[in-house]
Amino acid sequence: MAATGYRLLQALLLALFIGVTTFAMMRSLPGDMAWRIAAHRYGYDLVDADAVRLVQEELALGGPLLPALVQWLTDMVRLDFGTSLVSGESVIGEITHQLGASLQLAAVALALSLLLGPPLGILAGLKPGGWLDRGLLVLASGLRAMPQFLLGLLLILLVSVRLGWLPAAGHGSAGHFVLPALTLALGLAALSARIARDAMAAVAASPFYGFARQKGLSDAQVLWRHGLRNVSVPLVTCLGLQFVTLVEGVVVVESVFGWPGIGHGLVHAIFGRDVPMVQGTALVMGLTFVLLNALNDALQRRLDPRGTGR
Amino acid sequence: MTPRLEADDISVFDSDGARLLEPVSIRLEPGRPLVVLGETGSGKSLLSQALTGALPRGLKARGRICLGDTVLDAARPADHRRLWGREIAVLPQEPWLSLDPLMRAQQQVSESHSLVRGLGRLRAEQAANRDLAALGLAGAARRYPHQLSGGMAQRVAFAAARAGGARILIADEPTKGLDAERRDEVAALLLQEVAAGGSLMVVTHDLDLAQRLGGEVLVIRQGALVERGRSAVIFELPHQDYTRRLLAADPRRWATTSPAQTGTETLLEVQDLSLSRGGRSLIEGLSLRVGAGEIVGITGPSGCGKSSLGDVLLGLHGPDSGRVERSVARPHAYQKLFQDPPSAFPRTLPLGTALRDLVRRHRLDAARVAPLMQRLRLRPDLLERRPGEVSGGELQRLALLRVMLLEPVFLFADEPTSRLDPITQQEVIGLLRELACQGCAVLIVSHDPELIARTVHRSIALTGGNGAGPDDRSHAGLAAAFG
Repeated sequence: MAATGYRLLQALLLALFIGVTTFAMMRSLPGDMAWRIAAHRYGYDLVDADAVRLVQEELALGGPLLPALVQWLTDMVRLDFGTSLVSGESVIGEITHQLGASLQLAAVALALSLLLGPPLGILAGLKPGGWLDRGLLVLASGLRAMPQFLLGLLLILLVSVRLGWLPAAGHGSAGHFVLPALTLALGLAALSARIARDAMAAVAASPFYGFARQKGLSDAQVLWRHGLRNVSVPLVTCLGLQFVTLVEGVVVVESVFGWPGIGHGLVHAIFGRDVPMVQGTALVMGLTFVLLNALNDALQRRLDPRGTGR
Repeated sequence: MTPRLEADDISVFDSDGARLLEPVSIRLEPGRPLVVLGETGSGKSLLSQALTGALPRGLKARGRICLGDTVLDAARPADHRRLWGREIAVLPQEPWLSLDPLMRAQQQVSESHSLVRGLGRLRAEQAANRDLAALGLAGAARRYPHQLSGGMAQRVAFAAARAGGARILIADEPTKGLDAERRDEVAALLLQEVAAGGSLMVVTHDLDLAQRLGGEVLVIRQGALVERGRSAVIFELPHQDYTRRLLAADPRRWATTSPAQTGTETLLEVQDLSLSRGGRSLIEGLSLRVGAGEIVGITGPSGCGKSSLGDVLLGLHGPDSGRVERSVARPHAYQKLFQDPPSAFPRTLPLGTALRDLVRRHRLDAARVAPLMQRLRLRPDLLERRPGEVSGGELQRLALLRVMLLEPVFLFADEPTSRLDPITQQEVIGLLRELACQGCAVLIVSHDPELIARTVHRSIALTGGNGAGPDDRSHAGLAAAFG
């Protein structure tokens, strides 16, 4: 109960913080804001001084900062996210549309990373120092060190351009999922494989693992009943941390693969100085992060009884 | 009927082929315990590990093991695996660490019934509940290991080890680090198993436990059998010189300390001290005066506030009420010796570096180290090693050296020997006596009444405050183990 209240308070403070900082950051970006918005509305070739002046008057952009911020915050309390400065559509409508696409991609990427990382890590951890362990260390370090945009581009070059197996970008069919999800998943799996490997090696060397074997259980039974459960605890913690990587990754990967998600939308909104879109998107991303972490905490408490009752 | 276990010429080698254990043959019969006695590092654990096929990586065993109609080669430990749980039960050394921290007590027992004996889930759970109830743990079935006291964890581990149906029980140091009460519990548990027709092999340095179990005794030193025979005979008439020394190291056979000179300088005065931890009153109205050269014993059950009292006397914590007066104002004159030497040293630093740091920090005379080491019978080359690479006794003497460099007038020794074997224990206590002879006041905390009776000039018995029931005790035990 107290934990829920704490999370709600955290979400509230986070919303306030995101609102103020995105507002300040958008206002301090270099360049003429009205010109940018006009360019995104009418296209860079068609924009002229009149269009810019019209935009400026319509949106009252020259006005003082503080009233604009207060206005935005009061709108927020009324759950009114406003309308996009570029498209004129309601922000909430655009975001929910984009969020669906992003969540699909993120879920597929996460599932893929969990299929790749932990099983390989556990196999490596059962034989520390073996060829799989050493090979995985090199591979995981390499994947972690490589920026996602580079990995994405390499995958496009290899799979789409060279081999022609999958579309390079776009959205719609199952085939469109593979490359962006894989780009995200490889980075995530690199970390979860290392965490699973270290946890498995520690668990396998622990006295309770040895005792379970001496009780007469087979290796498979010991791994299934005592190994996996104990490895899952640090793994779930790691998953909580990976949400940050995932949110970050969604912005980059969606841009590289032209995925019509919230990250792609955010980048475009920033270029177009679409302040309500940026604020709304950042807020939704932040709150999603809080929600996912709250779910992660709940799962953690179910898995590990030691944290409760203290 | 429990099958007889016969092992012939069991020896153990390291990876370079050096022999760590000379060939030993044993017979393990139902109803007749076999006790393997020896000091730490004597190779006595190697024997039990070779028998069960659980030697540490890199070590190799030789010899032949017959169990009923089954014949096993000690050199092929993989073949032993199918006996685990079914024929041979191994009681773990650190019960708390040997239970899965994420699994309820009942499941840890019932999985042996279901997966090893092949019972159905429901019948396995019923069997586990019966096992636990028989050990007085009916209320603990749904608890997780962190909710069990050390003694309860030991009994759960016992039930889990035996649930697969094995009737040959092998226990390696089952009483290490336990207080007197829990040692009695373990001894009773093992004797009950023998009385029920099971076979028992215990590897230990606990002379009291060995004597209580009876049966046959093997004395091992430096990887070789020194003496073997019936327990009663060995304890009454040991033939070998080493066995005599080992038995003489039992606190029950120690000479008592000569009385201290009275009327000396007062080093510590406590008036009407009260102390509580976690809302539970531990000590009320304690008054105490300790003079130079005195040895004072502090006894009491686990969690009664012995260590907390030490913290207050040393000024690390304030008392709830009352007054503690330390008459020597020099800093670091009041010192402490810890129970578990490995955790009192930085794990990754060579011991010499740790000592040099101490000398530098307190601007001591480095030339004093060498003669002190000689006095404590510590070889100079130990300083190049790390804490994990020297024996527990050596490490405790090094801890004493560290304390002595600061020329203390008062030393609080918190269970300084509970993890040491008898010969090393006698040595460390001897050094504490020497320290007292030079005028240092020594407070010794111990759960061993025999040791206290023969070492101290007077002693204080702590009861652990008002009305500590068995349930309270388990929590206090937890706090003590983790704190």
